[in-house]
Amino acid sequence: MSIPKLELVSLAKEYNDGAVVAVDGIDLSVAPGETIALLGPSGCGKSTTLNMVVGLEEPTSGDIHIDGLSIVNIPPGKRNVGLVFQDYAVFPSMTVRQNLAFGLVVRKAAKDDIDRAVDEVAELLGMGGRLHVRARDLGGSEMQRVAIGRTLVTKPAVLLLDEPLSNLEAAARLTMRRELRRLQSEIGLTIIYVTHDQIEALSLADRIAVMHAGKILQVEKTSVICERPDHVYVAGFLGSPPMNLLAGEIAPGASGAAGPAFTHGPLTLALPADCPLGKGSYTLGLRPESLRLVPESEAPLAGTVSLVEFRGGDVVVTVDVASVKLDVILPATERPAMGQSVGVDFDPDSLVFFGGDSSRRLDVRPMGRPL
Amino acid sequence: MNPPVATSSDAPDLSPAAPHGGGKPARAKGGNIGLALTLPGQIVSVLVLVIPLLVALYMSFTDWSPTRGSLFDAEFVGFENYSELLIWDTRFLYAVLRTLCISAVCLALEFTFGLSLAVLFMRSFRGKSLLFSAFLTPMMILPVVVGYIFWMLFQSSGPVNQILEFVLGPDVALEWFRSAPLAVTAVIITEVWHWTPLFFLILLSGLNSVPENPVRAAVILGANPRQVFWRVIMPTLKPVIIVAFVIRAMEIIKLFDEVFMLTRGGPGSATETISLYIYKLAFNDFQLAYGAAAAFLVLLGALGLIHLLLMPVRNQLLEVKR
Amino acid sequence: MLSKKLTLFQAALLAAALAVVLFPVFWILMTAIKPPTDWNASPAIWMPSQPTLVNFKTLFDPDALKEYGVGGVSQSATKAVFGSLLASITSTALSVLIGLFAAIGISRYGAENKSTPLVILSGRMFPPAAIAVPFVIIFSNIGLTDSYVGLIAIYVAATLPFSTWMLKSFVDDLPREIEEAAMIDGTSRMKAHLTVTIPLIRGGLFATTMFIFILNWSEFMFALVLSYSNVSTIPVQLAKYVTATAGTLYGVQAALAVLAMVPLVIVGYLIQGHLARGMTFGAIKQ
Repeated sequence: MSIPKLELVSLAKEYNDGAVVAVDGIDLSVAPGETIALLGPSGCGKSTTLNMVVGLEEPTSGDIHIDGLSIVNIPPGKRNVGLVFQDYAVFPSMTVRQNLAFGLVVRKAAKDDIDRAVDEVAELLGMGGRLHVRARDLGGSEMQRVAIGRTLVTKPAVLLLDEPLSNLEAAARLTMRRELRRLQSEIGLTIIYVTHDQIEALSLADRIAVMHAGKILQVEKTSVICERPDHVYVAGFLGSPPMNLLAGEIAPGASGAAGPAFTHGPLTLALPADCPLGKGSYTLGLRPESLRLVPESEAPLAGTVSLVEFRGGDVVVTVDVASVKLDVILPATERPAMGQSVGVDFDPDSLVFFGGDSSRRLDVRPMGRPL
Repeated sequence: MNPPVATSSDAPDLSPAAPHGGGKPARAKGGNIGLALTLPGQIVSVLVLVIPLLVALYMSFTDWSPTRGSLFDAEFVGFENYSELLIWDTRFLYAVLRTLCISAVCLALEFTFGLSLAVLFMRSFRGKSLLFSAFLTPMMILPVVVGYIFWMLFQSSGPVNQILEFVLGPDVALEWFRSAPLAVTAVIITEVWHWTPLFFLILLSGLNSVPENPVRAAVILGANPRQVFWRVIMPTLKPVIIVAFVIRAMEIIKLFDEVFMLTRGGPGSATETISLYIYKLAFNDFQLAYGAAAAFLVLLGALGLIHLLLMPVRNQLLEVKR
Repeated sequence: MLSKKLTLFQAALLAAALAVVLFPVFWILMTAIKPPTDWNASPAIWMPSQPTLVNFKTLFDPDALKEYGVGGVSQSATKAVFGSLLASITSTALSVLIGLFAAIGISRYGAENKSTPLVILSGRMFPPAAIAVPFVIIFSNIGLTDSYVGLIAIYVAATLPFSTWMLKSFVDDLPREIEEAAMIDGTSRMKAHLTVTIPLIRGGLFATTMFIFILNWSEFMFALVLSYSNVSTIPVQLAKYVTATAGTLYGVQAALAVLAMVPLVIVGYLIQGHLARGMTFGAIKQ
């Protein structure tokens, strides 16, 4: 197995003598050539983690390895990592060429080497014709290219980006996504970026690490993570709309039922007698994609349509089932009317249970036909 | 004056975050009020500034002196005053040269000290706000008082000489006001003490508004602190620096109060600035017309100088001024 | 910014700079409380042998002053202090008032043209000594020499550019919507400015007033030229005391200087936050 390009080992950052824990001992291993997204809401510790990797902040404890070597004691300028700021932070009074050349100029590299490297990177990013323009006169996505190019010229081991797409308009976002993908494949960059936007995470990354309150809750391949959230929080964060989550209890033989049942307030769902989950508190997850509307009589759950949100290709229908709101995604052609009484059905295999205490997903398959 | 036609570029930015009180105005609506509001100011300016200026201008083309009766009876001599000043009046030319040299030296020193102080203030240390107020004190003091204080300090038996004796030995007994180079030095020291805080203030506020991310980016790219300062921070400071220089230059060429209190222009005319020379012309020698001509020459020269200084950053400066 | 701590060398530099900055202030303060016996000491004494406030009394006592010389030297400072207060306060109030309305007019109604900044700049570059001349001529024709009216008029005109431009930058900082919101209720424009705009810039208004006061209080040249027997200001009186034989009036002069200085230093401290804006015509805000 090859050495990970970047490795975080029990990395932690505290402020005010432990009063504020920004990063709570996280571990992460990034393979060479991989793109990883650190996804989470504001304050989850992702930017602090980024700052520690770059060297703008010092970890309270733990270690950071690049190509197997610890870099925590190396000053930021010498770590060979590149960082692209959210606002790009180009040098406004310098030309594109001067911006790109900066990293090598301050290292006192030879003029010919600098020119060659700058031309190469400019070519790679499609900025070849703009080398003489002052950075402050550039457009948004051009500035971002310069910011990226500025780091590429120094051939960093790892490229870090802070919210790379958030400052771009929709059209530019699409283009930049493809650009970054292309860079990845053409020069085999290892990329770590930080974002609060799940679309940004899903569209660019090979793997996603979901962070919350200073911890990494789950690291998983992009293609898999939506369907297999490991943690209640991840389930509630990913997806548009995210998984329907119902916190409740499993109790054996509720009133008149044949076997164990899951209750969330007024809502009750019967579970087969051989359900491996014992009595206790759990959170039930129902993915909007795996729910469907059927006639009331055939459905395990029934309710009324309270909201219909048209999204172009599909609709998000919110159904009030016993005063619980469930989101269902349907093809646009099937959209129901407001106030319509409907039944909600699902494939029993698509039920997901999370432990009440651990919040972790439980790997079980209870077959359920409802009451 | 024609009211401007509203075009799409006049449409104000209505986003809450953008304060735009000074942008393209709603001229059509409140035109009369605008005039009414600025009228008192314009009246005062015209009465108390423009008219005397025009009188002075007229005067500069005559050979008038108060002893010769009314101004309007005075003989019109065209550019005679001006040509005499520029060609024959060595005292005037020396005064101009002297003022420019003293100004240049003072500005350079004020900038250097001000910048150094500002850079020091970018560090964190205790008592910073108290120290900040302390360092601003010199520029709050009246120019005549500053002149007076340093007049005392530079006396032969004064503390400056005492300190110099302590450092350099008892043979150093400088007569600051008896020797031309020393007198000039005393003037420069006084000026620099008085106005370095202004450069400090302006440069510090400039440094504080340098955006942080480009600085961080430079550090991550491997620049050492000196490279960061000169390649990233200073270019951002350029417009601020120029504003500071222009503002200060405008005032220092009029140098009068401090020099008056220190040396009256002496010894001889060793520290005679332009303002002092014109003052003497007008109020010692009563050559008022001649003095007026000198003043207008100075005005033209200063305008030209400022224009030259501002050329490289005209566009940026308009942004800053807004 | 990379806020690291000061190195020892840097702290030493800072301390040295502080000493240089404060020493002259220290000196004048000490001199003001030196008893007359200390005044002529050679080499000069740094700390008074017996600190005393008698100089401040002598300053206002014409009989005591007569011992030190004749003419301007034996004048008590009473008239000068009164004159400074009258001239500075009145001219500041007028300058700020006129400047306030002009600032609103320019900021909200674009009553300026593009050349105004240039005109103002050039106004500042004109040596006062020269413009004092036509003033003297005009004023003597209308009987305004040696009068506070004349002096105040000049002070107002001289500080008007500062007050206007500084206040304009404060008004510019206020979004227009604020007044327009008031006008939606039917308030007239003028009333909106009086009840909304002006209260909202009161911090800047205070700073501008204090700043203009500093300028007027410090003014020397015009007061010198226009004061004969009726009019006097502190700077003029200070200059007169200097004509005494060097050293014979140190303590009293210093007392006057301290009296002149102290209000400004306090005022300067109060408006510290807006000094950059004032000094640069509103170009730079802290």
